[in-house]
Amino acid sequence: MSGHVDYFRALETPRLARLSHNLVAAAFPLMKLMPARYILDRAEACGELKAGAHIVETTSGTFGMALALLAAARGYLLTLVTASSLIDATYKARLERIGATVIAIDDPRGDGNQPGRLDCLQTILMSDPECFWTRQYDSPRNWLAYARLAEFLVRAMGKVDCLVGCIGTGGSLCGTGTFLRTLFPDLKIVAVDTHRSILFGQPAGKRMLRGLGNSVLPANVRHDLIDEIHWVGAYPAYMAAHQLLRLHGLFQGPTSGAAALVAQWVAKTYPDAQVAVIMPDEGHRHADTVYNDQWLAALPGWPCEQPSVPTTLSRIMPATESEWTRFSWQRRSLDDVLATQSLR
Amino acid sequence: MTGAGDVAQRPEPPPTGGPATRIGTGRAIAHHGELVQGVFEDDNGRLHRALVTLPLARLQSEATFTRTNAAAVRVRPQHRTKAAEAARLTLAHLGFPGAGGALSIASAIPVGHGYGSSTADVVASIRATAAAYDVKLRASSVSRIAVAAEGASDAIAYEDQAVLFAQREGIVVEELGGALPALLVVGFKANGGQPIDTLRLTPARYSSEEIQLFRVLRGLASRAVRLQDPYLLGRAATISAQISQHHLPKQHFNIALDIANRNGACGVQVAHSGSLIGIILDLSEKGAHQKATAIAEAASDIGFKDVEIHRVNEEAGR
Ligand SMILES: Cc1ncc(COP(=O)(O)O)c(C=O)c1O
Repeated sequence: MSGHVDYFRALETPRLARLSHNLVAAAFPLMKLMPARYILDRAEACGELKAGAHIVETTSGTFGMALALLAAARGYLLTLVTASSLIDATYKARLERIGATVIAIDDPRGDGNQPGRLDCLQTILMSDPECFWTRQYDSPRNWLAYARLAEFLVRAMGKVDCLVGCIGTGGSLCGTGTFLRTLFPDLKIVAVDTHRSILFGQPAGKRMLRGLGNSVLPANVRHDLIDEIHWVGAYPAYMAAHQLLRLHGLFQGPTSGAAALVAQWVAKTYPDAQVAVIMPDEGHRHADTVYNDQWLAALPGWPCEQPSVPTTLSRIMPATESEWTRFSWQRRSLDDVLATQSLR
Repeated sequence: MTGAGDVAQRPEPPPTGGPATRIGTGRAIAHHGELVQGVFEDDNGRLHRALVTLPLARLQSEATFTRTNAAAVRVRPQHRTKAAEAARLTLAHLGFPGAGGALSIASAIPVGHGYGSSTADVVASIRATAAAYDVKLRASSVSRIAVAAEGASDAIAYEDQAVLFAQREGIVVEELGGALPALLVVGFKANGGQPIDTLRLTPARYSSEEIQLFRVLRGLASRAVRLQDPYLLGRAATISAQISQHHLPKQHFNIALDIANRNGACGVQVAHSGSLIGIILDLSEKGAHQKATAIAEAASDIGFKDVEIHRVNEEAGR
């Protein structure tokens, strides 16, 4: 697209990297700009979001960063509601410097206190009728936004046989996958989650790999699109991120590492398939952790042996942070899968 | 605004005194509906109704414009008023507003099925009028005048060049990257062959999901043209046709789709404001003609009307 200056459209556009003869990575600087911009654009167009209005969301992750940048550029007030356990001081300071108000509520149980965050958000919504909630968990605009990514992949690759991506809200993988599968009905969709995320039937628990997975189930996770689910522990994800940097010069975050690990295995397993993998953010935010040897050395059990293949599960269960498991989901609903699991 | 840069050659002055004798002729091709039609975003984020026309060079309209000293443009047949308006607008575009002439149109294109007979008359008239002044207009100027004359028009002024064309604005939203690949199209009429009054159709209201899907179809069509891939193009056409089923349904469309799938076709396209259905084949593929014959027979057997086999963008001399 030429002739038009649009910084955020450029910033939300991934760079494509060929990782092997049949594997293309869409490496984003900040993927969440794509849904954030689309949600704000649509809300502005429909009159739901008025000039100078107040935007709220419950997030401390990259969606909050994307909203903060857009709110600053477009003159909106922004309040992000998060939990004290989920946000580090540096990131909070960065969001506040952009102009966002960050409310970190107490989290005595250490599970993110989503009910408490929603209560706080409701209070804000009640106090200001012009307030707009972006609803990345449930708004169809989250997944609809990824038509842009699907278009981008199709222009570059033509037919896509297999799509690999992380699942947090489900927007990116289920959105891109919906559009690509409309074009190519045989498209195989492989989801990447982490142990102790409840999205694909594991019991909730402490998760070390952040950015993907969830302790609540967003409506934007559409299980019946998913052919295969992988759970990647934090350590293999970190190591895969290091490898992306050393072997391909790609400086991406740990969820990109997890996605790359799975995608490389998928591409090797199906050498005749054209595989695309979504990589959601860059490594800068993780420079003091995932890319810091001292931080890594303090992790229990680090370094571990990097698994080269996943362990196939017939019964869904959590594993350690050094493990990588997979399960053949076969486009079923969560209830259907859980029903078969309880029969075992 | 149209500047002098829009005309390839400088027109000679208007005729003065004595009857003018300069005669221009112009031709324009028909089409077989669209490969893709929907709503698309431009670089500024604005949405435009736009389409990719499937050109059909075999059917043509031919117009003759004779310069006269009359103060008006007369047209034959008389009811081709949009063509006459196109001639007037062309005269104004050339710098001779109000000049007179006699326009006559002879067209082989059936009316009311989605072959674009009206646009073909209009485009032929614009070209004939310009030719009477020794001017060859660019496709962009022809298209803009055509839209001004008839409100909405197809992209046939671009001939075999694939463009995403905003049919109500007369502008190109995206050049898809060259000519269409060579295709065989088995065309026929749905809905018992009844013509449709396109002027009475209200424009489709598309959902957000459809608009987002059009974005992906546009990418697919662009890839298909750049790589000359009839299968990707057929896929884009099929999905556009399926969306069209929600807005202007064609009877037995799914039967056509089934015939296409069973015979290994590239896809199915439709006239989004007409009754035409076309099953798309790769003309360069071995056995394409046998496939076309089998598809044509199946379509006739099932009761589709006026089954014909068209060649699209075939290389000359083949
Ligand atoms: C770094 C990172 N990776 C992956 C994801 C998961 O993407 P989605 O929410 O579209 O499922 C997110 C979402 O927050 C993220 O921030």
